[in-house]
Amino acid sequence: MAERGRVAGRLRLCRGCRQFVGWESPECRFCGGDLDSLEAEHEARRQAMLDAEAALRAVVEASS
Amino acid sequence: MDDLPVRYAGVEDSANRVPVSIVWEITLACDLACSHCGSRAGRRRRDELSTAEALDLIAQMAELGTRDVGLIGGEAYLRKDWLEIVAAVRAAGMECGLQSGGRNLTEERLAKAAAAGLQGVGISIDGLREVHDEVRGVPGSYELALAALRNTSLHGMVATVNTQINTRSMPQLRELMDIVIDAGATNWQLAITVAMGNAADNPDLLLQPWHMLELMPLLADLSLEARERGLFIQPANNIGYYGPYESTIRNVIQDEIHWHGCNAGDTIFGIEADGTIKSCPGLPRVYAGGNVRDKSLREIWETAEPLAMTRRRTVDDLWGYCHGCYYAEVCMAGCTWTAHALFGRPGNNPMCHYRALEMDKAGLRERLVKVKNAAGLPFDHGEFEIVVEPVPGASAERVRDRILVNG
Repeated sequence: MAERGRVAGRLRLCRGCRQFVGWESPECRFCGGDLDSLEAEHEARRQAMLDAEAALRAVVEASS
Repeated sequence: MDDLPVRYAGVEDSANRVPVSIVWEITLACDLACSHCGSRAGRRRRDELSTAEALDLIAQMAELGTRDVGLIGGEAYLRKDWLEIVAAVRAAGMECGLQSGGRNLTEERLAKAAAAGLQGVGISIDGLREVHDEVRGVPGSYELALAALRNTSLHGMVATVNTQINTRSMPQLRELMDIVIDAGATNWQLAITVAMGNAADNPDLLLQPWHMLELMPLLADLSLEARERGLFIQPANNIGYYGPYESTIRNVIQDEIHWHGCNAGDTIFGIEADGTIKSCPGLPRVYAGGNVRDKSLREIWETAEPLAMTRRRTVDDLWGYCHGCYYAEVCMAGCTWTAHALFGRPGNNPMCHYRALEMDKAGLRERLVKVKNAAGLPFDHGEFEIVVEPVPGASAERVRDRILVNG
């Protein structure tokens, strides 16, 4: 059986300053932001964009 | 991950050591004379694999689980049986691409290559006309490269561009991107010129570590604009690492992707035209695991110790700044090739954005000084030292020490 390869550790993207930090870090070592809060805000913005896109598509399809 | 090109390795590929992507120098013969050529290509090797040996090697690649084979040279098309090799790669169920300088990649050659099953062609363009022709050593090679790029698309193959980033080409990248897009390329791979082979003889061509402070924001800006215009910028493994633009530059389909260390010998390897197997196509022969004329590809892949360097490497193997870096455990000092070409051993890589930023905060920068010439052989290198010096114009309070890091 061949030897297993290296699987590197993961880093976490700070949604405040867009730098990568250790996965277990509660806050960003660069900007001091709360990583969980920043991620939640990012996810809310992303979902709002997806919802808006879906609504726009529905309007376009209904009118065509 | 289903949308990614097959040459991208996933976590399972890394864990299982699947050689997903192979870069195969099928001949060292070349019709250009590039001042940065790591392999010092020109004449073919005396003992290049025969057609029968090449076809047998293709079967062995497929058996190992390889999904993508990139043909390089020299100029791969100068090998008479190159289309037979292309067809055999495709018949074995693998994807096949070609990297070329494009000087004699005529429309007729491209038509035959497409018919043989070639799927993509990457053309090297290293700056605007004057710079490209000078760096590539052949007047007129720029126009011929552009023609090959356009003809690639006309024959239904994916057209991509490779560009070396160095002191000559870096100021021209923005203008060059417009040309790359206009010529129909969909992918632009950018790599920093490595101090290997001919490039080691031309140190003025090489970027200095402080250039990362200018290069990374530029690449981030170009990446965002390129995506809007249908071009995907792909940074080579020697571009990075971390800092505020890592996500933007390395983003493939999601922005949490980051550099995770050199994968040479884990999911990629390189083949020299005589059948020598190396963990990375750019590395010198100290990283060779054997030759397929002596052992099977599987035996080399599974047992050769020189191919195990990345999975054996620990933070204790790093040195200089990289040893104490915040990212050391994940990064493992970036590109092995870049570090080895500079210092004759891996584990310390000054061509790093995060490192340059941290230095700059302290009013310092690193300067590479060549202290030993290369011998003049394929894939050889000289030797450089790092001088840490004050940033010109930095206030005295910001400057801590002047240190010879690797003296």
